[in-house]
Formats: sequence, structure tokens, C-alpha cells
Amino acid sequence: MIVIQRKDIRWMVIWVLGAMIIWTWNIIFLNKLSYKLIQSAIINTSIEVIFAVMFSLAFGWLQSMALYFFDSSQRRNIFLSIIFMQNIIRSIPQIIGLLIGYVILTLLIMNGVVSSHLGQILWMSFIIGIFCSLEVSDLIIERINYFKKSDYFNAMLCCGVKERRIINREILLKSSAAHLFHKTISLFGVVIFLQCSIDFIISIGLSLDVSLSNFPVTLGGLLAKFDSKQDILAFGAMFMDITYLPRIFFEHLQGVSIALIIVYTLLCLHQIADGIAQEYDL
Amino acid sequence: MSSASYSFRFKKIIIEHSISILFVLFVFIIITIFIEHKFKEAKRERHSIQQIVNIGNINFSDTLHRELFKETARIYYSYHPANVDSLLHFIESQRTKLFTDEAYKKGSISNELSSSEALNILVMYAKFVALYLIVMLLSYYLTNTLAVYYFVEKKRMGKGDNKYHNLILSVSKNDIDINSKMKATFMFIIKVVRNIFIGIIALFLFSPAYIIAYSMKSIFEIGNYAFMIVLGIISNGLLINYAYKFYTYLIHESRKGYVETAIVKGLSRSYEWNTKDGISIKSILKVNKKFTSHIFQHIYVNARYQYIGAMKQYTSFMITGLIIIEMALNIHGHLCYELLKNILYNRYQSALLIIFLVFLLVKASEILIDYWALRETHKYENAV
Repeated sequence: MIVIQRKDIRWMVIWVLGAMIIWTWNIIFLNKLSYKLIQSAIINTSIEVIFAVMFSLAFGWLQSMALYFFDSSQRRNIFLSIIFMQNIIRSIPQIIGLLIGYVILTLLIMNGVVSSHLGQILWMSFIIGIFCSLEVSDLIIERINYFKKSDYFNAMLCCGVKERRIINREILLKSSAAHLFHKTISLFGVVIFLQCSIDFIISIGLSLDVSLSNFPVTLGGLLAKFDSKQDILAFGAMFMDITYLPRIFFEHLQGVSIALIIVYTLLCLHQIADGIAQEYDL
Repeated sequence: MSSASYSFRFKKIIIEHSISILFVLFVFIIITIFIEHKFKEAKRERHSIQQIVNIGNINFSDTLHRELFKETARIYYSYHPANVDSLLHFIESQRTKLFTDEAYKKGSISNELSSSEALNILVMYAKFVALYLIVMLLSYYLTNTLAVYYFVEKKRMGKGDNKYHNLILSVSKNDIDINSKMKATFMFIIKVVRNIFIGIIALFLFSPAYIIAYSMKSIFEIGNYAFMIVLGIISNGLLINYAYKFYTYLIHESRKGYVETAIVKGLSRSYEWNTKDGISIKSILKVNKKFTSHIFQHIYVNARYQYIGAMKQYTSFMITGLIIIEMALNIHGHLCYELLKNILYNRYQSALLIIFLVFLLVKASEILIDYWALRETHKYENAV
């Protein structure tokens, strides 16, 4: 009953069940080569997304700490510089930022600086982390300001508790854990969307000297492959002739599985985040 | 807020944004100069290689000629024999490039941005801005309308849902008659069908644009502007996310104390559709939504004021969505696809110009949103 009542847990269960159904279906009906490709794509995408979220949280925390302490110290110039740089990053559409990141990665590959797949994944996670960290930083600053308005903050200072400890332990860890958790889940959605989109986009290639096979297989990259695109195109045939529907789940499984994994995950993450917001009244 | 303070804040907004535009422009100029320098270096290198490749009477496709050249080079590089292999490899790659590189084939190996190219980019940019404005206006209207509709419907349905839950609870306790059981089963089926339908719509709304576009490619012409507008509004989760954001602002506002005070003062509080003291569908569909003598008017206005703060993120995300659409669908003659092509063929000056123009568009939107927020603040602070 608890599972049904709590929206976040309910959707978590729905997501796991749905993913298991897709996985089982693929084991039974998808050819071995495509199945292996999808598996590596899921693993690579997951690693990149997890690292990107971790970088976002770390950078967001660093920015907010720097903003807080430089604002209250004499070094206002550093504070203004950080705000200025944040505003510039905010004004660059995320996808353009990621594209620039990929261009630099291509140059690094061409010059032999980055060659391993893990290095490439980490680089892209780093770039995504920079562009998504602003949301985390804004949230942390908002939480600190919220508590600073109350007597709670000053009372702790009077008790001799260090400012750093009040912010990190009392405000962020004890009183904002739900907010940060909610933001983390939302970030997963944003990062998956951006990562899949940029990998799909760069299927056209960013350099004549670097082939796409140089990049690790991800869900977006695999979806951009010709056979996957053909599978997605088959959806259109379904609108013309509804009897085509069952064939889609057998004959066009690679593209349909990838598209479904992406869209279904985005939907479930939104619902889980919404459930957390409702549960903790955020 | 006094008018002096108002104009001061407005000037501050303009100055802040102008400084960041100038800063980015400066960075881009530096990058352009650096790239130009690198390009000239590469051109010089290419020229010297070209001289070797074009040495009279030497045909590098011929094995004998190649070996002769190798022997001669070995004498020249007697102290660094490894250089001979590097030179031959370089010549070989250069010759391959002459046959395969699109830039060579087209004869346009120049990185410099010509005036006709710049003009072409500006025309594409004008189309992109027009597309953005249409999508912006339509999606702003739709997010507001959907959020308001959902809010009113939730308020109205609150009682209905309880009725349903009570009925289901009675069935599980087995303390109702057969007719009520039939009714409960029917309601359950309706709810399941409704949820499946909503689920399919939600999957559609959360789909990235390229998935929807490719699945519709055989039905619609994807380069069509009308299709791109629809795609820009409904895809990438933009509509649903921001409608939901507006809805949460409405929820937060509806819980505030002034709502109770206003009800005590006699404002309507019914959320029934099209009744005298309720909410009319017509008022929800209007561009300038007004709910006269209803408490919802105040909830709506205050929620909209808070929503302005989220608009900057909204516009940036919308531009991201439009860029994804243009790039992912490989639509020739569109700004963002050209950006990708320019990067692919190392025409970095054109690419930088396009990126700077997109940055300017975001900045212009931010200035307008800041100005709008300032005006609203000015209005309400004066009212206080």
C-alpha cells in the first residue's frame, strides 16, 4: 500500500518493471549483435550520466561556497567575477556548450591527448557538469539565504558553531537533503536528455579526421545509426496502417528499444522527481 | 520603487548584459585571430608540401619514382632517417586529401568568412529568430493555459477522486451491493483506459524532438516550418515541464494566507466550469487571462509574477530545443545545421559567427525578461 501511495516509489517500481520488460523482450527477440550494442550503449550512457551528475553537484557546491564566502569577505571582485562567468554560461544554450566540448574533444583525439573511451566519457561528463552545475549552485544559495533570514543561523553562530559547519552540515546535509535529492533526480533527466541529443546530433561528424567509431557507443549515438533511424521511421508506417503495429516490436526492435528506453526513462524520472517534491512538500 | 530607482535598475540590467556581450565578443575575436594564425601556418605547410608533391617528373603513384625519392631524401636526412618515413607518410596523406577532402573538391579551402557567406548566415539567422519568436509566444500561451486548466480541474476533481477512492475501498471491504460493485468496476476500467491514454500522451511529450520527427518523417515534410513550430512546442519535455512549473507556482500561491482573506472579503471560490461564480473555459483560453471577482485572479497574477523568474531558463532551454531540432534533422539551409557543417569542414569563422548570433539571441531574451520583471516589480511595489 505504501508503494502505491508514494508517487516517487511507485514510479521507481514502474521504471524498474518497464526496464525489465524491455530487457527481457530484447533477450528473446533482438539479434545478438544489436543486443550487445544496446548493452554497451546503456553501460556507457549510464557511466557518463552518473559522472556528469556527480560533476554537476561538485561544481555547483564549489560555486555556491565560493560565492557565499567571497560575498561575505573583502574579496568582492572574485565574487563578481564568479557571478559574471555564471551569467555567461547561463546565456550559452547548453547544447552549444556541449557541442563546443565535443569540438575540443575531437581536437584532443586528433592530437592524441585523449584516446581511451573512459577518458572521452569523463571529458564529456565534465563539460555537461559545467553547464548543469548552475542549477545546483542556485539551489544551494537559495537554501542558505532562506535559513540566513531566520534566527536559526545567527543563533548557531552565537553558540560558536563555525559558519562552514552551519552551511554544510546543518543547512545542506540536515535541512536540505530532500531538496538536493530532488535536484539530483531532475539532473539525471536533464543530463540524459542532453547527452542523448548531443550524441545523436554529432552523428554527422565533427571532423573529417576523426571517425564516429572513435567515440564510445551511447544510446544517442546508436539511435543515430542508419538502421535505428529506419526502425524509428517504421513508426510512421504504423500511422498509415495500424496492423503494422505488432511488426514494430519484432522487426524494428533496435531503434524502438533505444527510443523507448530514453523516453520512458525521461518520463519516469520526471514523475519520481515530482513524487519527491510532493512527499517532502518542496 | 521610485522612478529614479527604476531607471537605475534598468540601466544596471543593460550595462550588465552589455559587458557580458562585449566580453564574449572579445573572446571570440581572440579565438578567430588564433584560428586564423593556425590556418595560415597550415597553409604555408601545405604550400611547401604541395611543392614536393608537384615536383616535376615525379609520380608518387609509381613505386619506382617513390623509391627514388626515398633514396634522395635519405641522403638529405642522413642524420635523421626517421624523418624520411614521416615525410613520405605526410605526402601520402596530403595526396589522399586532395582526392577525398570535400573542401579541396569544392576548391574552398579558405577559412575566411566571405561577405556572401555572412549575408547567407544572417538570412538564416533571421528565419531562426522568427521561428523562435513564434514558438516562444505559442508555448508561453500553452504552458499558462495548460497549467491553469490543470489547476482548476484538480480543484474541481478533488471531490470526485475521493468518491472513487471511497467506492474502491468499499469494494475491497466487500460491504456494498452488486450494482455499486458494477459501477466501481466500470469506473476502474475507465480510469485504467484514461491513464493508458495519458501515459501515451506523456511519452510523446517527453520525447526528444528527433524521435518524434523521425517517426513522423513519412507523414510530414520535416523541413516544413509549421512542423518545426509544432515540434518546438511539444517535444523535448518543454511544454509539460514548464506547464508543470507554472502549476506548482499556482499551488504554492493558493496555499498562502491572502487567499483565505480574499474569500472572507467575498470573492468567488468555486472552481466549477462555466457557472456564475466559477471559472469559464473561455476565460482560460484567452491570451490575456482575467478571472474577475474570483480569488483565482489573484492566485494567477502572483504565480505569473514568480514565473517570470523561470523564464530565462525557459528561453535558453527552448533555444536548445530548436537547435537540437535543426541539427538533428539535418535540414539543409537552416542555421544550426550550417553550424555543424561549418565545424565539420573547419570553417571556424562562420561557426563562431553563428554561435555568437545565438548567444546574442539568448542575451536579447534575457534583457527583455529582466525588463519585464522590473516593470512588474515596479507596478506591485508601487501598489503597496
